[in-house]
Amino acid sequence: MNVIECNGLTKAYFRKNVLNGLTFTIEENKITGLIGRNGVGKTTLVKILAGLIKETSGEVRVFEQHPFNNLYTSANTILVDDQMFFPPALQLHELLEVAQSFYPNWDMELAQRLLQYFSFDPSHYHQTLSKGRTSTFNMIIGLASRCSVTILDEPTTGMDEAVRKDFYRALMKDYLAHPRTILISSHHLNEIEDILEDVLLIKNGKTLLHESISDLKEWAIALQGASTVVQKWLVERNCIFQRQVGKDTLYAVVRDDFTKENKEEALRGGVEFIPVKASDLCVYLTNDTKGGIDDVFER
Amino acid sequence: MSSNVSLVETVKKQYAFKMKAYIDAFSSLVGIQFIAFLFSLGGGSSSMGTSDGYHFELKFYSADLVIIFTFIWIFVTAITITTKPYRNQDFTFVTNRMSSSLSNILFLLSASLLGAFTAVLSRFLIQTVAYFLLKEDLYIASVMTSEMMIGITVSLLYVFWISSIGYFVGTLVQIHKGFALLIPVIVIGSLFYDGFMQRDAMLLDTVSILFFRVIDGPVCD
Repeated sequence: MNVIECNGLTKAYFRKNVLNGLTFTIEENKITGLIGRNGVGKTTLVKILAGLIKETSGEVRVFEQHPFNNLYTSANTILVDDQMFFPPALQLHELLEVAQSFYPNWDMELAQRLLQYFSFDPSHYHQTLSKGRTSTFNMIIGLASRCSVTILDEPTTGMDEAVRKDFYRALMKDYLAHPRTILISSHHLNEIEDILEDVLLIKNGKTLLHESISDLKEWAIALQGASTVVQKWLVERNCIFQRQVGKDTLYAVVRDDFTKENKEEALRGGVEFIPVKASDLCVYLTNDTKGGIDDVFER
Repeated sequence: MSSNVSLVETVKKQYAFKMKAYIDAFSSLVGIQFIAFLFSLGGGSSSMGTSDGYHFELKFYSADLVIIFTFIWIFVTAITITTKPYRNQDFTFVTNRMSSSLSNILFLLSASLLGAFTAVLSRFLIQTVAYFLLKEDLYIASVMTSEMMIGITVSLLYVFWISSIGYFVGTLVQIHKGFALLIPVIVIGSLFYDGFMQRDAMLLDTVSILFFRVIDGPVCD
């Protein structure tokens, strides 16, 4: 069953399209990573999915319903980000009680234990927490609410290394015990790679790629060798990224559509095939130029 | 795993949530009514006179000022809860626009009830303090419970009415910030305009029809 469906989704702010005909579907109980550069509309997209803002045009369905201003999707969706706003008058343990009253699947025991593990003082106030602590507390709300659709927008902002690792582990454990549809947007694909099933790559408000993580790892391959030889192989291929390594060596990333014969021939010509890490590939794919930042300095 | 929720249930939960989360509104009520109480101890609309060698001074100790301060309080509170941080709080949890507004109305009604109740009863506090601490000679018409109830009900309706004006103004401002400028301009501007045209202020008249009967009436006698 498809839990989230988007068809030609567009959102414009002041006549500038942030989302530009975004189309994708997400199946039930999958963990999908939402990857894209800063400002491509990830946050806009998740806010539309959570029903906080309304799309300009196109179709969006969550549980086969339109999410905007919808009580059903509001109760079954939670959006965790660093902009979650909690009433300043309530203490942390009171916030948990409020959340319990609202979310039907709330697990108070889990929330309490996480609160204790991350050594929060239940009588503190949300406003007094530091950036990383805020993210951690919001994450506790997100996990314990056990919403069928859990959307985490940059959930690890400000968290330190240890907490980040704990968080991903907690997410994984809770997901295995209570499967649900999870959408994580993050800049650190290499960190979340291990828990993701699918990757949704967004560029310029459009879906660039929607693949499973294992396919993504084999999607592209890097060629490295003498410039002239590598250049020959790049002809008629769409080069995703290239970089000069040393004086006369070229590193180029292309879609992996080489046949076995091709590869053998290339190997004989002194070209080396190197697998591309998924996180690197995402960076290359979302770059506007082929050479990355190097292009700026080379005139 | 997804579960259904009803509008009524959500409104109830949100109402309970708001009564806890907006506690600051109630603490400011305490503050503002206390200030009004102190002002009231001066004794409103006093009159003095001398006759046959006697000098007399007449003072009215009433809850008028406390009720007026309560009006201001509910007006500000109603505007405050329409602002963005307050709306965002709703959307952290389960809501839609309908349930958010309905629970706001319920909250304002409860706040109005509390405000009206304490304001009307503050009269006894003011008169007691005037008698015991300020050593005034007090002449009090006996108050019947039914009159008291009428007083509280009428005050409640007025406070709730003011809150609805505040909520309306606040909502307009949230739709477009321009209203924050436009509404005072219209209100104050109309006073100047009517003055310029040498006639009674229309806006003030409309309000005073509803108001001054009460101020004279049983609520704050």
